[in-house]
Amino acid sequence: MRQFLSAFLLVIAGMLPAQAQTSSIPPEEFDSTSRLAGDSINVCFDRTSLGRTFDEDVARAIGDALFLRVEVIEGFGGFPLNGDALLDEVTLAMNNTCDVFMGVSVSPNSPVSDAFSITRPYATVPFVLVVADPDWQSLNDIPKSRKLGTAIASMGEMAYITWAQQQPENQRWVRLPYADFDLMTTRVLDGSIAGMILWQPALARILATRPDAQALHVIDTAPVPPSETRVGALVSSRNSFLRSQIDEAIDALVADGTIAGLLEKHGYTGRAGE
Amino acid sequence: MKTLVKSLLVATAAIAVISAPALAQDTREYSPVTDEMLLDPPAEDWLTFRGAYNNQGYSKLDLINKDTVSDLQLAWAWPMAEAGIQETAPLIHDGILFLQTNNNIVEALDAKTGDRIWTYRHALPELPASWSYQLNQARRQKNSIALYQDKVVLTTADAKIVVLNALDGKVVWEKQVLDYNVGYSYTVGPIVVDNKIISAISGCSIAGTAGGCYILAHDFETGEELWRFNTIDDPNNPEQQASWGEVPPENRWGGTPWTTGSYDPETRTTFWGIGMPGPYSELIRGSGDGSVLYTNSTLALDIDTGELKWYYQHLPRDNWDLDSPFERILVDQEVDGEVRKMVVTVPGKNGIAFGLDRETGEYLWHKETVHQNVVTGIDPDGTVHINEDLISQAVGESHLACASVSGGKLWQAGAYSPLTQAYYVPLTEACNTVAPTQTEFTAGNAVGAVQFGPRVLPEGVTDAGLVEAISVSPTAGETLWDYRSRPAPTSSLLATAGGLVIGGDAARDVKAWDQETGEVLWTQRLNAPIGGYPATYELDGEQYLVIPTGYSNSASSISSAFPEIPLPTGSGNSIFVFKLPKSE
Repeated sequence: MRQFLSAFLLVIAGMLPAQAQTSSIPPEEFDSTSRLAGDSINVCFDRTSLGRTFDEDVARAIGDALFLRVEVIEGFGGFPLNGDALLDEVTLAMNNTCDVFMGVSVSPNSPVSDAFSITRPYATVPFVLVVADPDWQSLNDIPKSRKLGTAIASMGEMAYITWAQQQPENQRWVRLPYADFDLMTTRVLDGSIAGMILWQPALARILATRPDAQALHVIDTAPVPPSETRVGALVSSRNSFLRSQIDEAIDALVADGTIAGLLEKHGYTGRAGE
Repeated sequence: MKTLVKSLLVATAAIAVISAPALAQDTREYSPVTDEMLLDPPAEDWLTFRGAYNNQGYSKLDLINKDTVSDLQLAWAWPMAEAGIQETAPLIHDGILFLQTNNNIVEALDAKTGDRIWTYRHALPELPASWSYQLNQARRQKNSIALYQDKVVLTTADAKIVVLNALDGKVVWEKQVLDYNVGYSYTVGPIVVDNKIISAISGCSIAGTAGGCYILAHDFETGEELWRFNTIDDPNNPEQQASWGEVPPENRWGGTPWTTGSYDPETRTTFWGIGMPGPYSELIRGSGDGSVLYTNSTLALDIDTGELKWYYQHLPRDNWDLDSPFERILVDQEVDGEVRKMVVTVPGKNGIAFGLDRETGEYLWHKETVHQNVVTGIDPDGTVHINEDLISQAVGESHLACASVSGGKLWQAGAYSPLTQAYYVPLTEACNTVAPTQTEFTAGNAVGAVQFGPRVLPEGVTDAGLVEAISVSPTAGETLWDYRSRPAPTSSLLATAGGLVIGGDAARDVKAWDQETGEVLWTQRLNAPIGGYPATYELDGEQYLVIPTGYSNSASSISSAFPEIPLPTGSGNSIFVFKLPKSE
């Protein structure tokens, strides 16, 4: 299988798109060469990804399952909040370097083009509401006069906005968007905001690095519905063989408990697979 | 492997290719660009981004004129040093043409022959793979140099000011102005006034730059920071703070001043345009119905202190990324014996032209150009009303907004001619859908709070391109003529004392229009979409015309509107220099 997979990679890599001045990327930026992958696959990561280390562990497990050596490559990172240039860089990275891009959100709003496919999710991890006040057990316990922080442009924020827009103004909490979760944590601890909604791996990282954050605890988001993000990987749409192999590997790793073990190792809540 | 190769190349560049002089010994002399020259630029030079501090994009040269323009011949051409999106503004002084290209490469060329004198190649840190936004910005450098004394002042994608010797390209000093690690990046060049380098930073939509987007002044000799003005946090103006609702400075983004400003020496005031707020949608940014100052505004700043003299907001409560940073042109007109000092601008992507009183910021007039549906009216006192039906009340709620996120108007600067008292503006008819959304690429990481649909023509419109001549007075802006075309204009415009307006389009055609009538007097097809900022200069009694060409986002993003015009496969980033045949 290893040889077959490598041969397949070689063949499809030759089928590169003709680039006229009809995209926002100058054609010279694209490699028109075939990757001689041998028995390895280039697995890329967003260096700013919240689940970076977890995703690498999953990639190595997938590589082991497929008898492929995983070449870890820092894909990119550091985009503006408006997503400016992100798709350019995704396209470049996938064309020039990456066989697989790990840690990709599996959602209807996925910004990637039809040139790429997303695998089935290998994990599903929730957004959480985090507060410092020990008396609060759900969002409903927080006075409406207090403010909330949300991870900007996240699924958790979307759930809150969608709920809030259906309430009378005096029944909503004022919400402030944060891109810096450390700063948002500080604001919860100093009382500037009552609580924060963020992805649980971000909280796991904060708990692992900030002793003062031990005072925080997760409470129920009610009355706001819970939200979660499914995590998968990106592959070229032309490489349907690779995608099906990775999908099968993910299924096997979910079934045998490998993914669940990795979630536990990294302190993530949520579940393996969908 | 690609990353490794690129890293090695960058490291090599850092060690060996900081500045590479041409092989032949050059014994030329170079006269310093003085303050006096900048205040009244010699006709034969092109000293700043738009030719003069007033940003008019006007040349006093007239050898190339309505009668002679059809005789233009190619003098020389030069390929740019790097691929990438081409938005360059060549500067010319003392027989040297300074050409800045992508990835902060500057080349000095003999303006008569096109021969290279020196190349400066900035060593950008760790750009491959790790800092993608800066990498992307480096590929999209706009005008990024200024000339002052015997130096070239360069602003870089890694947020540095670098001062080079004009004669040999060697680094005199460089300063890290802001932290590129959090996202700051220079995308446009500075102006230099009285020993002060006035620059403006970009990257203000990146997470790490929350709360701070700046126009700055640095000492030309030492690099010491003299002042900075924060475009999204002004503690001296309660109205500015209140305009963000309950959002504190640390949760604000945007306000990027991404077009080089102008300067009025009489009042010692510098004028800059400011971009959109972040996130784009008020539903996401949490600012309610606040106007989010000073986004989409003109700022008038004291050149010596950086203090705000006045501001005028062209588009309050932006929800559509209709940025308003574009050129602010300073115009003086005598009316009934009184000199009226104005700022004239098409500041934003919606293409609306404005006239403002330069001393007070008072609104004088406005004029619509391309089809737009976001601004519903402007009161006599200058209050701008927006179409609240286009503000999404729910995540995913989509509206068709005109002009589009890529304009309407974009970075391509218009030009003003004192001959006709008209402002010539390159525009594109385009709309797109806009919907607030939550977009994650890597799980849990936000990279998009708004989803834009493709750029399309407005209903009933078949010509994407529009060059509009607006007759300017202190009381009104009125159409003098307009020129419509299938392809979109892709370059800035140049106006000259020869009665011409010069610019080009996605169809690779550079054109010269009659300033008075709009008649096309000359067309030349080149190798790629016309781009950047056309310029002109005179040497040994001959007038030269510089036309940049190359890779154009403005062509690619609207190319579906003119499918009969094929765009090149290659970039072709070049400059073409024309002149008249020598008279016998």
